[in-house]
Amino acid sequence: MKTIDKKSFNHEDFYLKLDTDVIGRNFVEVDEIDSTNAFLLKTNDYNQNGTVILADYQTAGRGRREREWISAKELNLTFSVLLNNNLDKVNVNLLILGSALAVAQALENLYQLNVELKWPNDVLVKRKKICGILLESSAKGSKLDKLVIGFGINVNQVNFPGKYNITPTSVKSEFKSTVERERLLAEILNNLEAIFIELVKTPEKVLDAWRDRCKMLGEKIKIEDDGKARFGIFDNIDQNGFILLKTPEGREKVHIGDVSIR
Amino acid sequence: MDINLLKKLIKVVETSDITDFSVQEGDLKVRISKRQANSAPVYTQPVVQEVASVQTTPAKQVEKDQESAKPAQEAPAANDKHYEVKSPIVGTFYRAPSPDADPYIQVGDKVSSGNVLCIVEAMKLMNEIESDVAGKVVKILVENGKPVEYNQPLFIIEKE
Repeated sequence: MKTIDKKSFNHEDFYLKLDTDVIGRNFVEVDEIDSTNAFLLKTNDYNQNGTVILADYQTAGRGRREREWISAKELNLTFSVLLNNNLDKVNVNLLILGSALAVAQALENLYQLNVELKWPNDVLVKRKKICGILLESSAKGSKLDKLVIGFGINVNQVNFPGKYNITPTSVKSEFKSTVERERLLAEILNNLEAIFIELVKTPEKVLDAWRDRCKMLGEKIKIEDDGKARFGIFDNIDQNGFILLKTPEGREKVHIGDVSIR
Repeated sequence: MDINLLKKLIKVVETSDITDFSVQEGDLKVRISKRQANSAPVYTQPVVQEVASVQTTPAKQVEKDQESAKPAQEAPAANDKHYEVKSPIVGTFYRAPSPDADPYIQVGDKVSSGNVLCIVEAMKLMNEIESDVAGKVVKILVENGKPVEYNQPLFIIEKE
């Protein structure tokens, strides 16, 4: 890990590249925080729809079921996006797929990487994980009132000590050059806003774009959840983004689990 | 049986001079009877219960009537206070934030508005459900780790 790559985030460069109406227009950077998702969910200080909070360092970054997400300081992008308006106009499940698509498109456009999406929203390059996404929402009683999308993107970090479920990689490792975090973040947010608008109008287009990048479709897969495993052929995703798994007993709908090629 | 058909049958009995009506469709038998004093139709099930209580000794019957009269009067009030929290999404129900953590709440716990009750997870969306009322948790309707449907009741909270 070369210290030369560590560089504080330049807000001006970021705003120059940001081309959105809502997402990222309220931009907050913090030095150190436990988790950007938890912060946006709990605080009432930032209520503006589309607020983005970027952390230089997360002390308690996490993934599904409180799995740890470790990220070096000032080398990567760990940020969360707050959405609290028009949530009833989109299928929130498709936003899960759409958030991964936003990252995939940015990596393709800026660095010509060959990106693969793993259900529901892991972003892989050469089968290695470059980005993880965790969505969290809060519901008051039976109605969703806040949704945060947390992104952890390995950008300029090249060494990943420790054990991982999926081998990590980074933009720098794949692109073979240090990249501008400001530009990458702006591009992801631009894509995310466009995808949100598309989800309101023609969600099927977002689903198709996601399918195009999923290499597991048609493959024999294993879906593990809570120690139980299901086996079958990954037939398709339905209009809610759920997996349609073909098994000897018929077609099963699966909405949760870790997917791997059998 | 189609619930609409049932409603239609009730309507027919209600608006006619028929006091007793029964129909059978496969295994399902429906009997609708109407009492003169009370024009509202009554289903078979309550009638059977009434018959059963008649068979007990008169003294006990009085006791029973008093007992059953009490809850019957309280029931509407209790139902008003009983508040159902339903799932806003299709997913898996978790009572704790992680597999080895303590559940957010237990039956009997007091909750206030904004307290987290559970997580429902779909794909990779962790949805924390907060109570929107203050009260006491009287029932947890779903087992940890089980799938829930959209709008499925998860908790019953007795409002303060």
